[in-house]
Amino acid sequence: MPSRMGARAPAGFARSFLELGLLLLLVFVLLQGSVFPYGADASSQHAKDGCSSTHEGKPNRTKKVFPVLSFEYDHIKTPFEVSLWVLFASLMKLGFHLVPRLSSIVPESCLLIVVGLLVGGLSKLIGESELPKLDSGNFFLVLLPPIILDAGYFLPIRPFMENLGTILMFAVVGTLWNAFFIGSVLFAVCQIPAAGLTHLGLLSCLLFGSIISAVDPVAVLAVFEEIHINELLHILVFGESLLNDAVTVVLYHLFEEFSAFGTVTVLDGFLGVISFLIVAFGGVLVGAIYGILAAFTSRFTSHMRVIEPLFVFVYSYIAYLSAELFHLSGIMALIACGAVMRPYVEANISHKSHTTIKYFLKMWSSVSETLIFILLGVATVGGPHNWNWIFVTSTVFLCLVARVIGVIGLTFIINKFRIVKLTTKDQFIVAYGGLRGAIAFSLGFLLEVEDEEMRHIFLTAIITVIFFTVFVQGMTIKPLVELLAVKKKQEAKRSINEEIHIQFLDHLLTGIEDICGHYGHHHWKDKMNRFNRKYVKKCLIAGERSKEPQLIAFYHKLEFKQAIQLVESGAGGKLSSALPSTVSIQNIQPKKPPPAPEPRERVLPQLPKSREEEIRKILRSNLQRTRQRLRSYNRHTLVADPYEEGLNDLLKKQKMFELEKKIKEMNNYLSVPVATSDSPTLRRARLASDPQAYNVKPDPVAVPTIQVELASPQSPDSVNIMDEFRKDKEKDEDTGLTMKPPSGPSAPPRKQSEDAKDPQKLTRCLSDPGPSADEGEDDPFLP
Amino acid sequence: MGSRASTLLREEEIEEIKKETGFSHSQITRLYSRFTSLDKGENGTLSREDFQRIPELAINPLGDRIINAFFPDGEDQVNFRGFMRTLAHFRPVEDNEKNKNLSNTEPLNSRTNKLHFAFQLYDLDRDDKISRDELLQVLRMMVGVNISDEQLGSIADRTIQEADTNGDGCISFTEFIKVLEKVDVEQKMSIRFLH
Repeated sequence: MPSRMGARAPAGFARSFLELGLLLLLVFVLLQGSVFPYGADASSQHAKDGCSSTHEGKPNRTKKVFPVLSFEYDHIKTPFEVSLWVLFASLMKLGFHLVPRLSSIVPESCLLIVVGLLVGGLSKLIGESELPKLDSGNFFLVLLPPIILDAGYFLPIRPFMENLGTILMFAVVGTLWNAFFIGSVLFAVCQIPAAGLTHLGLLSCLLFGSIISAVDPVAVLAVFEEIHINELLHILVFGESLLNDAVTVVLYHLFEEFSAFGTVTVLDGFLGVISFLIVAFGGVLVGAIYGILAAFTSRFTSHMRVIEPLFVFVYSYIAYLSAELFHLSGIMALIACGAVMRPYVEANISHKSHTTIKYFLKMWSSVSETLIFILLGVATVGGPHNWNWIFVTSTVFLCLVARVIGVIGLTFIINKFRIVKLTTKDQFIVAYGGLRGAIAFSLGFLLEVEDEEMRHIFLTAIITVIFFTVFVQGMTIKPLVELLAVKKKQEAKRSINEEIHIQFLDHLLTGIEDICGHYGHHHWKDKMNRFNRKYVKKCLIAGERSKEPQLIAFYHKLEFKQAIQLVESGAGGKLSSALPSTVSIQNIQPKKPPPAPEPRERVLPQLPKSREEEIRKILRSNLQRTRQRLRSYNRHTLVADPYEEGLNDLLKKQKMFELEKKIKEMNNYLSVPVATSDSPTLRRARLASDPQAYNVKPDPVAVPTIQVELASPQSPDSVNIMDEFRKDKEKDEDTGLTMKPPSGPSAPPRKQSEDAKDPQKLTRCLSDPGPSADEGEDDPFLP
Repeated sequence: MGSRASTLLREEEIEEIKKETGFSHSQITRLYSRFTSLDKGENGTLSREDFQRIPELAINPLGDRIINAFFPDGEDQVNFRGFMRTLAHFRPVEDNEKNKNLSNTEPLNSRTNKLHFAFQLYDLDRDDKISRDELLQVLRMMVGVNISDEQLGSIADRTIQEADTNGDGCISFTEFIKVLEKVDVEQKMSIRFLH
């Protein structure tokens, strides 16, 4: 039945999303109820009985009949259910964006919680008692890390460091204030006999306060991502939510330990402070160590590009787990790992790996976030509740009050030390953006107190606060931002001008600080940069890239992107004519002595119009005649497109022409090998104008593909024009523009043997520039 | 140094400097002691060599230009007034100052004046334009020796192309301001002078 329902769904799809949504929900819940019950014992029997409508299966009771089709659910139960949940979450996410107005009014997190509520509600109706819980093991080990890694890897380092003092104040002092204020006032409230809560001791209240006080990064990310607020506020609230993890961890463990005993001495308080320092700095240290390891590993991956992203993910995850192992702050470890490894890893890995990492992180964090919110909704319906009006309302109220007082008080102190002060509007947004989320819930869930009733009260209150902040504050923050005319995020990308001038100003300010004898912000930053350049980069970045100044790297990235745009919009013929108008990429030739084994790069000269026409004509005729045979995709090779190879030739011919000319003028060219071991960005930039320079690994069997270019056992491109020329001179041929017939392996191998040595070199291709919101990647490390 | 120091900085001078630059009393005295510690010749003025003795300035790529900026045109010595006048550009912009209008002239640390100071560091020949050559010089200083001239040339070309709105091939002061309008100059060009 569900399959038929599913078939009907696409037809009604365009008309009404709601129908589809409900249909999906129903299908899902029915499947859950009838086919996938939890609690292993009677599952197979139950399933077989209940599933007659969904699956064909002959119950195999007798020995005589051989089961043609059998049904064994237990075998695949867990992965199947997990996959189904992930699929469900993703479909929901997809669905929201199909309803245009909905996603602009209500933040996604709210919608997802509502969906979770629905699912929970429906399954309760059906009587399904066992649903996946947002259990702490799952949450902390599986669902949370991707989100934090995504945040940490793309953390904008510069604004973060510039505002670090402010962020730390909010994170540490603010959270402490929140925890103690809420805890103690709640204790006072509990003393009121009417509430019936007198059994809650001070320590239990403080424990509760410490759980509920922390601003949640997941919720903040989910909401702030949609309101596009200016960078300063975003980094303040977000940074605070990340860094308060250390405080929360310490407070939580402290109070959990001692709520059993009922007393806390001064010594314990002192130990708590020490513990906090250890947790925070230890976490960062662990993360940094793994980050450096990852950076170091990435230095050697030039021959195995395919697994580069894996190192990033695995090292980060291990960093997280190692920190959790010692009860250090896993979140801070993850952030430190991502932030430390990023500049070095990005200098070492290929463009494709970079895109992969970006997309994978976004994908995982997106799915995680969706699942978290849905499961929160489900847990709300399912979880054991103990609703106590006074406790819940006073919690909500106190959270708000504490946050406001905390922010105002802290800003007053902080503004004395800031150059750019925080205005009242800023303070309001910071206070209003203090959302609570799933971390609080999971911590509450983890609580092991003897008093089960107390735990239920806590959980109910936590859920209410979460709902309140996510729904009320989440929904209203966008109109409030509009109303208060808070500065929005600058959408434009950094131009080369800004980059140059900002560096200029940095040097200027450092100089002035030195003149004043004032060891301020710039002084230390400059020292760190110099240390970084002198020692660290040499160790962690492969090859010549380590010497590349940051300005040049930025410039090349810009060029690269522009070239991608050109190719995407234009196509081959326009390529050469479009290029010269903006930048003379062809002049990129670093003054470096070339080490021999490095494969050489091509110089891409400009081409006069007449030649261009000639080339176009010839290409057109040749491309029509020939057909390429695509080699089957193999994990170890990256296949080249026929179109791209044709483009390759166009460019090669260009060069041949130009060099033909040049050779007559300058003889010394021949003795000097052409530009050389470039940094990856240089190569990328060059390949930008030579866009699809795939380098295909040599075939073991000479595939008789019909190509425009000479087919040889080796790769069809990455020709060293200079060597070609030299060989031509030797052979005393004037090649001009002759098309060698596609003659397969019999063609004289004009390729260099060096190409074989470096099969995967030119795999930086312009396939996918990545998602557009990538300002983050332009920020250099410690700029 | 003791007796000379006390006679060299009188109260009226402090008041004048305060009015001109906006520094507070304690900041002025603190900077004055720094001034005297740099002034090895003890003649109440600083020469270029005095500045060059600062070790970190030697490794700063813009060191020479910054030193030059302290000296008014053609002169070789700078007194304390001049020293403070230059440093005043880097005072943080205060909120209440934006509203107050003490004098007709803009305070030295306004955004425009800060940018003008930076502009003059580029524009050595003081023709109110940053030409391609001047830009190249600055780029060369910042980038080091490993990059070829052509590459720097293309960066410079690209930079001018982005900024140049009136097509004269140079960056004028207004174009300079426009390019940096998104940058938080008030923060980037301010030093928190200790009280």
